[in-house]
Amino acid sequence: MNNPPRSCSDPSDDWLDALLRADGREHRADYLDDNGFTARVMAALPASPAALPAWRKPALAVLWAVAGIGIALALPATASDVAHEITRAIFAQRVSVAGIGAAFVVLVASAWTAAALALRTD
Amino acid sequence: MAQPQLTDAQLIARVVVHDDRNAFSELVRRHQSAVRATLRRLTAGNHALADDLAQETFMLAYRNMKSFRQEAQFSTWLYRIATNAFLADARKRKEELLGDRDQDLAPEEDGESAAVPTESAGSDQTRGASLRIDMDRALAALSDAERAAIVQCYHNDLSHEEAAIVLDCPVGTVKTHILRAKAKLKAQLAAWASH
Repeated sequence: MNNPPRSCSDPSDDWLDALLRADGREHRADYLDDNGFTARVMAALPASPAALPAWRKPALAVLWAVAGIGIALALPATASDVAHEITRAIFAQRVSVAGIGAAFVVLVASAWTAAALALRTD
Repeated sequence: MAQPQLTDAQLIARVVVHDDRNAFSELVRRHQSAVRATLRRLTAGNHALADDLAQETFMLAYRNMKSFRQEAQFSTWLYRIATNAFLADARKRKEELLGDRDQDLAPEEDGESAAVPTESAGSDQTRGASLRIDMDRALAALSDAERAAIVQCYHNDLSHEEAAIVLDCPVGTVKTHILRAKAKLKAQLAAWASH
């Protein structure tokens, strides 16, 4: 023991010091069985974020780049069409296949963005 | 072959860097007894409350693990969190009970000291049990801060300096709390003076 109480006790307190030390020794010698305590603590911890590999960020970036290049190659002249159809859809023009395509592209882009944000942990 | 046991510092590093739940679980398993026993003493034997506060202590430790700078031992840091949790809870209860607590927890308030442990009580075991009961009663009559100082210095075997860190107060304040606590304990435990 570090003898902490000695510096602030007078000799007439010796019996009390001895009593407190004896009680302290007994206290330290007692080991409380876990009895499920650790399990309760672990169960109460906040949910762990999904275990994500370290390569998730570059993989997502590559995925985005591939998707962008794929769209650009597959639909070379449709960017203006898509924009036009989005405008038409917004202004409640009649629905066309191109309009549905434009809406689909917007939805996919939104979903990818949301997924990227959700997977980000820092 | 059995794996060498990791140190607290290694386990903490795993928790901080990899959010390793198994490492944290091992830390809880290692320190649960000391933390719960300390809180049982601080709460004057209220085991249910002590375990609730112990759980809160480990939750706070997990959340704030990154701020643990390893300047003190992990156990000392846990004692500090536990003591803060206890004092915060005690303040809350006091506000709720408007001072009723002191009457409830001070059965020796009428000046009657602890029962005299008789020689016929016999064995050390009986004496130890009697001492524990009387000590619990006497500790319950102390203020929360006085009890915390006694528990840290005598039960957790901390120096005044370490206790000051745990209690987040100057060393002089720790000494004052101990002096006052001992004056009260002396009256409460007078029957043990001759044993």
